[in-house]
Amino acid sequence: MSELLNDTLAVERPAPRHYSFSEPYWQGTREKKLLLQYCRESGQYQFYPRPVSIFTGTRELEWREVSGRGQVFSWTTAHIARPPFTGHTPYLVVTVTLDEGVNLIANLINCPMEKVAIGLRVRPTWAPLPDGTNLLLFEPDDAADA
Amino acid sequence: MALRDTAIVGFAETKIEARSGRDVWDYGAEVLESLIRTTGIEKSEIDGLLINGSMTGAGNCFWSQTTAEFLGLELDFCQTVDVGGSSAVAAVSRAAAALDAGLCSTVLLLNIDTESSEQNLKMRSFHGEWIHPYGMIGPPADFGLLSRRYDHLYGLDFEALGKLAVTQRNHALLNDNACEKLRKPITVEDYLNSRMIADPIRLLDCVMVCDGGNGLLMTTRKRAKEKGIDNFVVPLGYGERTNYRTAENLAEITESGHHVAGRKAFAQAQLTPADIGSYQPYDDFLIAVMIKLEMLGFAKPGQGGAFIREHSLAHDGNLPINTGGGQISAGQPGLAGGGVNLIEGVRQLMGKGGARQIKDRRHALVTGIGGIPYGRNWTTSTALILGAEG
Repeated sequence: MSELLNDTLAVERPAPRHYSFSEPYWQGTREKKLLLQYCRESGQYQFYPRPVSIFTGTRELEWREVSGRGQVFSWTTAHIARPPFTGHTPYLVVTVTLDEGVNLIANLINCPMEKVAIGLRVRPTWAPLPDGTNLLLFEPDDAADA
Repeated sequence: MALRDTAIVGFAETKIEARSGRDVWDYGAEVLESLIRTTGIEKSEIDGLLINGSMTGAGNCFWSQTTAEFLGLELDFCQTVDVGGSSAVAAVSRAAAALDAGLCSTVLLLNIDTESSEQNLKMRSFHGEWIHPYGMIGPPADFGLLSRRYDHLYGLDFEALGKLAVTQRNHALLNDNACEKLRKPITVEDYLNSRMIADPIRLLDCVMVCDGGNGLLMTTRKRAKEKGIDNFVVPLGYGERTNYRTAENLAEITESGHHVAGRKAFAQAQLTPADIGSYQPYDDFLIAVMIKLEMLGFAKPGQGGAFIREHSLAHDGNLPINTGGGQISAGQPGLAGGGVNLIEGVRQLMGKGGARQIKDRRHALVTGIGGIPYGRNWTTSTALILGAEG
């Protein structure tokens, strides 16, 4: 049934409105760079972008580029959808634990059904959005299989 | 004075209906009238109002005031409780605090929503940037991720969830307020064969959004006795936690704030899970009921499914669960939904459960779940232990 999973690349996703403190993230995606907020005081990354460090409550934050590699923390197959995803089911929604120690949600594409599993190594891939930014997606990190 | 010096002296609930077309305040009026008629407390005595934040009222940030205006209430205390599905249970604690502080003497705790007819929510949150671009369809997808993780850690017992589905459905068959569309018998096979929504979440794991209303009247225990009310319910213990482990990046999503809320509620009530005669857990998805059995100390982590298999959860069983059908089988009247579980807990303790009346009326446990944070468990977890008096 692997051929039945949709890669969602044909979905006409609108560009989301950005909060002011998210803007550096989205600007980074124009060059397909994954930037995360890093809390200088506690030495931890955080996701999604916040106006403060969720660890200390201060604004001692900086943006750091990360590889985007990680592993699947959990996954689900969407069998129903709302616009603009209507007609594109089934597709995979995953939580990924980046090697930097944050969890984030995205679509996993180019992954046959029999391959998806918790612990699967993944790497970033990008889908263009109408405003010139790119949306982070993941695909299996085949290099990790070798 | 304390939580247990207050009294729930009346309850009311409307029929739960799918796409009723009725106005949300029409449900509010039905609840108010029912409470006045059944308790003998006059409208002029009601000097406090707590109302749930609702999907219908979401566009109006004057919600409690406007509702009071439409219901003709003159008040000394007027407040919206906006912790999602936890609002109904949380309102009991707010009412007790207001009574304790002398802000008012008789509080209407009103839960109304017509989400299936009129949804006015404009969500300002993380969803626009971080959820919607991935086609997550809302709570079923969140619970799909949660369920898959649980299955990975412990193995998920789908037949146990099926037993829970059937038990709650059987209770809804005995509940005239349950949504008629849901009052049809089901089997474990029906549950297992229901279509996948967000694998492994099936259709029969999920609530159906409806319209409806429910409410309580609370006053001080002293005032209740002065008025000659001899059958009331007392809140004995309460715990609440919003954003459990929110500053831990990789906190396990199968654990919820009920772990701390439950511990606090039991300590305050000076009771243990063995003292609970009936359990009315907030049930947006079946697995939430199972996980809360673990979080609240009925079962160890990973053993919720075994607990469900080993216990009779029917109204005449050894731990009756969601004896009105819960929201999954009675319907979820939007963000008034937390009241479905709460009102059933009160109804049973007052001995007004009718054909589904439980035997052990001493103590009931009610929970709330409010909101779903980004990639986590749920936002506000509440646990309330009630005791019968009279």
